[in-house]
Amino acid sequence: MDFGFTIAAYAVATVLFVLSLGGLSNQEKAKRAVWYGIVGMAVAVVATMVGPGSGLWLMSLVLIGLGGIIGWQLATRVQMTQMPELVAIMHSLVGLAAVLVGINAHLEIGRVAEVFAGAELAFPQPEGPMTMAAYDLWLGLTDFAAIIGKKTAVEVTILRIELMLGIWIGAVTFTGSVVAYGKLAGRINSAPVQLPGGHMLNAGAAVASVIFAGLYLAFAESGVAAILMLLVLTALALFIGYHLIMGIGGADMPVVVSMLNSYSGWAAAAIGFSLGNELLIVVGALVGSSGAILSYIMCKAMNRSFISVILGGFGGTSGPQMAVEGEQVAIDAAGVAAALNDADSVIIIPGYGMAVAQAQQSVSELTRKLRAKGKNVRFAIHPVAGRLPGHMNVLLAEAKVPYDIVLEMDEINDDFPSTDVAIVIGSNDIVNPAAQDDPNSPIAGMPVLECWKAKQVFVSKRGQGTGYSGIENPLFFKENTRMFYGDAKASVDSLLPLID
Amino acid sequence: MTQGGQGLKIGAPREVYEGEARVALTPDSALQLQKLGHACLIEAGAGERAGITDDAYRAAGVEVVADAGALFDGADIVIKVREPQMDEVQRLREGQTLVSFFWPAQNEELLNAAAERKATVIAMDMVPRISRAQKMDALSSMANIAGYRAVIEAGNNFGRFFTGQVTAAGKVPPARVLVVGAGVAGLAAIGTSTALGAITLAFDVRPEVAEQIESMGAEFVYLDFDEETQDGAATGGYAAPSSPEFREKQLEKFRELAPDIDIVITTALIPGRPAPKLWTEDMVRMMKPGSVIVDLAAEKGGNCDLTVPNERIVTENGVVVVGYTDFPSRMATQSSMLYATNIRHMIHDLTPEKDGVINHNMDDDVIRGATVTHAGEVTYPPPPPKVQAIAAKPKEKKKEPTAEERRSAEVSAFREETRRQVALLAIGGGAVLAVGLVAPESFMRNFVIFVLAVFVGFQVIWNVAHSLHTPLMAVTNAISSIIILGALMQIGSTSGLITVLAAAGILMAAVNIFGGFMVTRRMLAMFQKS
Repeated sequence: MDFGFTIAAYAVATVLFVLSLGGLSNQEKAKRAVWYGIVGMAVAVVATMVGPGSGLWLMSLVLIGLGGIIGWQLATRVQMTQMPELVAIMHSLVGLAAVLVGINAHLEIGRVAEVFAGAELAFPQPEGPMTMAAYDLWLGLTDFAAIIGKKTAVEVTILRIELMLGIWIGAVTFTGSVVAYGKLAGRINSAPVQLPGGHMLNAGAAVASVIFAGLYLAFAESGVAAILMLLVLTALALFIGYHLIMGIGGADMPVVVSMLNSYSGWAAAAIGFSLGNELLIVVGALVGSSGAILSYIMCKAMNRSFISVILGGFGGTSGPQMAVEGEQVAIDAAGVAAALNDADSVIIIPGYGMAVAQAQQSVSELTRKLRAKGKNVRFAIHPVAGRLPGHMNVLLAEAKVPYDIVLEMDEINDDFPSTDVAIVIGSNDIVNPAAQDDPNSPIAGMPVLECWKAKQVFVSKRGQGTGYSGIENPLFFKENTRMFYGDAKASVDSLLPLID
Repeated sequence: MTQGGQGLKIGAPREVYEGEARVALTPDSALQLQKLGHACLIEAGAGERAGITDDAYRAAGVEVVADAGALFDGADIVIKVREPQMDEVQRLREGQTLVSFFWPAQNEELLNAAAERKATVIAMDMVPRISRAQKMDALSSMANIAGYRAVIEAGNNFGRFFTGQVTAAGKVPPARVLVVGAGVAGLAAIGTSTALGAITLAFDVRPEVAEQIESMGAEFVYLDFDEETQDGAATGGYAAPSSPEFREKQLEKFRELAPDIDIVITTALIPGRPAPKLWTEDMVRMMKPGSVIVDLAAEKGGNCDLTVPNERIVTENGVVVVGYTDFPSRMATQSSMLYATNIRHMIHDLTPEKDGVINHNMDDDVIRGATVTHAGEVTYPPPPPKVQAIAAKPKEKKKEPTAEERRSAEVSAFREETRRQVALLAIGGGAVLAVGLVAPESFMRNFVIFVLAVFVGFQVIWNVAHSLHTPLMAVTNAISSIIILGALMQIGSTSGLITVLAAAGILMAAVNIFGGFMVTRRMLAMFQKS
């Protein structure tokens, strides 16, 4: 079997994938970049199906078609606000697929061993050149079995370690993603929940995983015992994934999602090692490192260490929080509209509340109306606004808000003092002045949008409760802040007819 | 009475103080008061000098009464602008309420007289400066007008443009305006002056207002002075007297500035004291002929040595010194409107139930602070307010790093980075070598590819725009379904179990491929330029 063509195609696919990720550096190039990714994936799949994966190719094709239809349906039906959930649940598929492929690899080793044993030949292959008889038998093996068939004892052991890694990471990704999905979709309480024992339980499960991994290697030849060990290992990993993500609060979900993204990449890379497939290794590593960097960038934006996010909850506080003085003053739509009519410059700060209320279209309409009147309207996006990095950008883009008026925190933070009106729509912690003023606040030191420096601040909010992280927000009590209570969409809609 | 209940009669007499043009009730505020269930009275001709005719009041449902006597008899609450004259106080009766500027510290006699008559007096000048009370802070609203008017008055006396112009008929330099004291009046003056195009400098003894000054477009005049600077928050947002050394330093700075300044507007006041002398005679002499000084502190003796209250004088060297004390009154229409609104808010707070009954709540900081006589007692001065006044603590001013310091900081940061990078490379390289010692060659081949791919991934992702992080996630999600290759390689196995598991893997990965790419495309298609 000639894999030369496949390897060449893999090289092409690798280049396309790298271009695809690199192309996301700006909006225009990104549209082209997706096509690079699609073509790269097509090249990779086709090359595999004519090469090392040619067995049962018709069935593969049918399955891909079927999966394609399901994926297509999912992607076209999903609301933009549900994007975080969708991404999370899709990660779980990759994780599960990695587990299945890993288990398969184990089964295949057993099968190959049987084939050799049936011919009364040694397996794994002894060091040195293969005997003639072994070679003849090997020629009869196809696909993955062929790769296993020629391995030596050390190589088989490494193979087993690799497939265990693949299964383990894949399983963590699977349950982790399902829990993340549940939290994002609101099906599971977003508060951090841990079983008694907390992180010790995770650590214990991790130690047990190592022990069972060792046992698996020890009993590798014995069939039933080996598969049992492997299943226990998988179960432990499933538990770790579940418990780890359950213990992380909803506010940290953006980091979690990108972390799981990273894991799914590492799982693919580990499987790539065990299957000896270069493209799997390369792409898995690309995805793994990109997810890791994304998590890092986001942790930095929140001024938290990666470890503290993973370990769940907010970092410990060193003393009592500052008491908030004053009162929250409410305002009605007419008051907000009057201020907007008088304002020359407006900055809108959207948050998760806007996504929940599906208010982006109304906000866009408001923006259009204000801009038509010659006002300078801009959007300030905090790096961790929403439940996914860049979540707000996507929602605003969906509502046809031009992206050149949508600015990042660092670009716009200095402009607040010269701004007439700042409107906070459904965000809370990212505009919390306690992060700067109160060293005892759980979010102390986290960079925040300094909207309170604007001449007037309106906060559109459902009620008087605290935000996702449960921290009191002194912004709401400031002199220049007015609370515009109500559902974000209804509130913004009520403004529209009043803007003249 | 427009609504149920008894309702109160609120009456505004004509101001008797000479030259006072303002009035405490406007048709607009009357309409609002009627909504609260009150009836309004006005003395005939009271609004005349503010440009409001008696007919305009009648149209707003206000009863116009012939003279002050009838008004004081008819009204439950008398609202005024200036502090009352003695004969006005004598007209008050038991239980009647007077809302007006009162200056209780200076008018002890009036205060005692009002208490004797068992009338309640609410002094608008005693409203505490807390955020809740801003809507009734008449001092601020009047100061705002005074600041504006001071610049207009200066412009009126100044022979040149405020803004610099280059015209065919020659080049005009912009006027240089110095505003001393950046309270409400000072800030209003700064805003007006910069709006007219003048180069505006401003000074205040409270360094924390520098930010406000700069936000209005003026340049803050810094003093190089180390003494503990004042914390405005401790004195209710007002300035306190400064030390002699500080004052010397300040005057020295002013002397340095004086020859180049065309217009000086002084607004420096210290509560309960004569105005500090900040613009001395020698400074006036240094100024160019035609320059203008507007002294908003004239009523308290003036910030300028040469100020004559209520007069405009011209010095020997041709500098105009304006010492008017009635700036708000000179804009009576505007100031009546704002003052009447302040009064309306006060009455709103006095009758919280909107049923036309006064609820004189002496536990309320604002009402307690403003009430100077109540139920036959003098209640001035009030206890300190429970809520601390405005103004945050002054921030530690950071020293601007010099060019060299910045350079050396950059260099050391670069060194630090190099050191970190080298360390990371050493550790990473060592780890790879250690693996290479034990692992077979076939593994190491793949390992090299792996390490390179991780490296490429790190390099590429740093450049991804923040706004595209969600598409990035979706795309990497789609790409991570490359795991399908593994399943494809296994599905051809002769073992049925393996085939089934691999088939499931292929199906899941395929969902992911199509879903991921589709979603990414949907998202990116939405990004568009305006």
